[in-house]
This record gives sequence, C-alpha cells and structure tokens, in this order.
Amino acid sequence: MFRNILNKGRRLAGLGGLVAALTVAAPAMAQDKEPIVFGGSIPLSGVFAFAGIHIHAGLTDYTDWINSEGGINGHPVKYVMEDTAYEVDRSVAAFKKISGSESPATYYGDSTGFMKAIASELNSQGNTLMSGASFATALTDNEQYPYQFIPGPNYSQMFGIILEYIASQGEGGDMPTVAFVYSDTEFGKDPIENGKARAAELGIEVVEDIVTKPGSVDVSSEILKLRRVRPDYVVFHGYVLSPINEFMVQMRQMGLDTKFMGTFWSSDKLIIDKMGADADGYMGVMPYNYYDSEESGPMLDALRAQAEKSDPEADYRPTGYMQAWFNAMVWTEVVKRTLDAGKELTGDNMAEALASIEDWDTGGIIGIPVTVRDMSFPVGRIWRVNAEKGRYEPVSDWIHLD
Amino acid sequence: MDWMFFGEISLAGLAMGGLYALIALGFVIIYKATRVINFAIGEIMMFAAYLFLAFAGGMEMSAWIALPLAVLGGSILGGVIEKTMIRPMLGESPISVVMVTIGIASILVGLVEFIWTADPQLLPSFLPREPVFIGDLYLAPKIAYGFLIGAAVLIVYLLYFRFSRGGVALRATASDQAAAYSMGINVRRVFNMAWVFGSLAASLAGVLVAATGGLSPQFGIIGLSVLVVVIVGGLDSILGALIAGVFIGWLETVAGAYFGGEYRMPATFLVLAVILVIRPYGLFGTHEIERV
Repeated sequence: MFRNILNKGRRLAGLGGLVAALTVAAPAMAQDKEPIVFGGSIPLSGVFAFAGIHIHAGLTDYTDWINSEGGINGHPVKYVMEDTAYEVDRSVAAFKKISGSESPATYYGDSTGFMKAIASELNSQGNTLMSGASFATALTDNEQYPYQFIPGPNYSQMFGIILEYIASQGEGGDMPTVAFVYSDTEFGKDPIENGKARAAELGIEVVEDIVTKPGSVDVSSEILKLRRVRPDYVVFHGYVLSPINEFMVQMRQMGLDTKFMGTFWSSDKLIIDKMGADADGYMGVMPYNYYDSEESGPMLDALRAQAEKSDPEADYRPTGYMQAWFNAMVWTEVVKRTLDAGKELTGDNMAEALASIEDWDTGGIIGIPVTVRDMSFPVGRIWRVNAEKGRYEPVSDWIHLD
Repeated sequence: MDWMFFGEISLAGLAMGGLYALIALGFVIIYKATRVINFAIGEIMMFAAYLFLAFAGGMEMSAWIALPLAVLGGSILGGVIEKTMIRPMLGESPISVVMVTIGIASILVGLVEFIWTADPQLLPSFLPREPVFIGDLYLAPKIAYGFLIGAAVLIVYLLYFRFSRGGVALRATASDQAAAYSMGINVRRVFNMAWVFGSLAASLAGVLVAATGGLSPQFGIIGLSVLVVVIVGGLDSILGALIAGVFIGWLETVAGAYFGGEYRMPATFLVLAVILVIRPYGLFGTHEIERV
C-alpha cells in the first residue's frame, strides 16, 4: 500500500518534471506550421479509470514520440484532454469545450454511450474524426456514424474470430459446443445475437447463454446451469476481471474440462496478475501484440522505447496503452494521407483517407498488414495465458476477417 | 421440473441471502439507534475489504489475522465517521444527514482509488476450495463458508443485543431516547457504539462478499441492493433484516437462474413495490418510520 503511494508520488513528481521541461523547451520546439490537435474525453477517474490511466499514458507517449519524429508532415501534434469519470454528460461537456477552443482533427471517445450521444453533433460539425475505447458493433454503421471508426475488430467481429478458432478445434467432425456469458449492459449484449448467428453458420451449438448482473455478484447459480450443459468453451464478454475468475475456478472444481475465452477488455494481463495460477489456459482475442510478447517491429520497438523513456519503473504496459497508441497511429496515418492528397482536414476527407487504408504495415503493433473494412480493422489473434511465465502467448495465426 | 437443480439454486440463494442479512443488520443497527439512513454502508464494506487486501495481500499476513484486523478497521472507521461527521449533524433535517452519508461514500471511493488505484482486485483466497455437498446438492465453497462465518456472527449479535447491558442500552435508546437519557444511559455513547457495531457487521460482510465477487472502487453499489432488503424487512427491525435478507437473496438467485440475470433486480424491486403498497413500513417495521 505504502509502496503504491510512494510510486504514485514518484510518478507525479516525474510528471511535474516533464511538464516543467516541456514548458521550458516549448519555444525551441515550436514549429511554423499549425499544430494538429488530438482531443480526448479520457476516464482518468470513475469506473473505467483502471484503463483510462493507461489510455492517457498511451496517447501522451505517442504524441511525444511523433513530435520527436518531426510531427505529421511538419505539423506538431498537440494532445488535449479532459477527465470524464466515464460519465457521458462529462464526456460530452469535454468534447464541446475542446472542440470549441482547439478544433481537434481527431478525438478519443471514452465509451460507446458517449460516441453515440455525440454522433449528431460530430456529424453536423463535420471536421473531426473520432475513435476511442469502444469496439461497439453499432459504431461501424457508416450511415449513422460516418466520422467514427473502431481501432480493431468490433465486438461481433471479435466473436467471429473466437468462433473461427473454436471451429478449427473440432476433431473427427465433432464441433465443440459453446456457452456465452455476458454482463447485463449495452457493452455486454453487443455481440451476442451476431455471435449466435455466426456460430450457427459455423455449425457450433450455443448450449447456453448467461447474462449476469454487473458489479460484484455471486454467480454460483449461473455456474450450476453451465454444469448441466457442460460446454466445451465458455466465451466471456463485458467483463474486465470478475466474475471470470469465479466461473473458471468453480467449473474446474466441478471437474469440467471447459476452456475459457474472452474479448478485448477481458484479455488484459490484469487477469494473470490477479488470478495467478488459476488463470492458466485462459484465452483471449487481441488485435495488437502484447507489450511483453516476443514479437517485434519498428513501431512496436518505438512504442516500447517511448514507454520505457516516459516511465522506466513500469515494466509492462496494459492493453489500454497499446489500444490508445494504435488509435493515435491511425489518426496520424489518416491525417497524413489527407494532407498528402492536398485536402483539408474535414470529417469527410479523413473518413475517405481511413477507408483507403489497405494492407497497411503497422510496424509490429498488429502482426500482419491490415485493411479497413466498414470503419474497423477486423483482425485479431487468439492468445493463451501461460501462468508460469506470467503472460499471454499466441495459439493461432492472425485472423483477418473479410 | 428438475428438483435437484432447484435445490442447488435455492441453497446458493439462501447462503447469499445470509450475507445480505449481515449487511442489512449493519444498516438496521445504525438506523434503529440513531435514525440515520446510512448510504455509505456499501463504501464502509468496500473499505474493509480493501483493508483485508492490504493486510493479507500487500503485507502477506495470515488471512485469519487479516480478517479480524480488516473488520476492526471498518468498525473503527464507522465510529470515527459518527463522531466527526454525523454527531455535529444532530438536530439537522434527516435529508441533510443523508446527504452527509452520500458525501462520505464519495470520499471513501476517492480514498481507495488514491491508495489502491482503480484497478479491479481479487482478494487472496482464504476459504477452503473443496466443493461442499449437502446430500447430493452442490454448494460453492466460498458461499458455504462465507455463510457459516456470517451466521456465526449474526448469532453473536443477536445474543449480545438480547442479554448484554450494551444491547439493552441500544434497544432502550431506540425505543425512547429521552427516557433512556433520563435513566442514565449515555445516549451519545450508544450512538457511537451503534455505528461501530453496524460497521463491524457490514465490514465482515464486505470481506466475505468481495471474496466471492471481486473488489473495485464501485463495490459499494451493493449497499444499494441491500436497501431493498431493509425496506422490505422494516428499517428498524433486526428480525426483518434477517428474514428479508435471506428471502431477497433466495429470490434474486432463483429469478436469475430461471429467467436470466437481467431479471434478478426486477424480481426484487417487484417485491419491494408490493411490500410498499401493502405494508409501507416493511414486514416487521414500526408505523412511525419517516421515509426519505
């Protein structure tokens, strides 16, 4: 506990030093061209703060890195954010404030609720491209959300990748059975119907679907239901940690040999850190390489170097950090393509530039070249927890959905 | 109908209901003695669970030392809150006091986020992990042992309030503060002890519930679920808290198992609505209760 406070103090001191250094160095760094502004409604407090802190670190580090590389076509990048506590009204207020004073070209939204709520204003302003923490399927509707994109596969596509992996594990013509377990939230319910449809296409039987109350709850009755249907796989969605641990531990206590899988926000290293040996064998779909994976590439190496530079004491960076960095990479690519085409940074022009991304080499952040489909990057890989080594290891090739 | 399944579900629900009853007891003790509706009860639970995490996880103490220390810490917190923030509000309107407890809840959330970060946490495993069978019926070990610990403490509480001088003083103060004062009972001390004992029950429940469902700064929301229990049972009835706690726990679990997790809360709120219509003061509450 005290070490925690001490670490926090050191980090704050480091942050203060950084701010002071930037203030002094600012005149020397100033460039003639107008800055490109990355805006953000960031949940530094509240229910999503565990990820928001790392999202903020990822965006900050990327901004420092891109500026050290000369910015975007000579334009310096400026990152402007407000804490939202993961509340939609505060996110909207932050967007209004930042878009009123800074005219951001791109913007990080902290939730599906916010990104839906702000859509009409974003569409009417028409000068900002938005992405963020959400992988909601609905946001890939180009008609309703023309200026918003998903920095990876949407949740339905994640289920698609997971189900393709499960289908590939069938032996002797027997398809494995699967159960979906999800939270009773908009986030939790997002991919379930599409997941069931995709499972039917692949010939996978969904033997149970269980919705749980969000928050700290006992799930032993739900586990009793799963004991009766004995699924080969359980796919979790809409959780960060609990109750995944309870399902895994109790079902193993019952002698079931079920395998457990989860989507992006359920596949952080947090699961290994908190569950320890109980996490062994858990699998997740992840569109990016993990910070501590054995993969490499010029951008992944740059990310690691920048992370090390900004906070030498943090030896690992969570998936929220990787996701934020990738968001900013896409923004940079889109702005660059728009400027290279001699066009203004409008929502239409940037959306067009985004749609033109094809076989894009992300420098190791994603292991294969990626192509944008319907404002998303439908690519991912299945990773499995090796509890002894304390990390996720890949168990599938990269899967790029068409 | 699969009676075996129904039996297992019911057992799990009753065991969870036992923990609800413990939290409700904490709520009712404070209300009964001081007439304060404590909206910070969930956050006191959360704080005690984080203390357990610090003692058993961070300081690597034995869980059986960490548990009483955490519960003690939670009950001291309750006493300090009463003395420093609730007592100065004596004589103010009930709404003002309720707002103070909501403020305390926010402060506690901020405090745990500052000390332990906003990351979700799991408590170190301290209950036996072997499955429990009652006849052929399976019961998750954490729930079973959590229920046993909670039930033991409930019995101690009931005996204390029935037979000890402190218990009699508390009941006398609850019945008539002025008469209790004139009979030489230190009413202020009773107020303080009510917060200490109420927070103690909530703290123990906090550690046991967090051991089952995980812990985060949002853990305190469970305190609101228990509001249903105390309103159904009667805000000032210990017996009501116990019966309603067990019943709501059972109902929630059975509704979740047969109709889906999204029906857990609607089922309990339906019961709440019915009770409010037919017995607005709760199943076992007294008539003159003023609701906020």
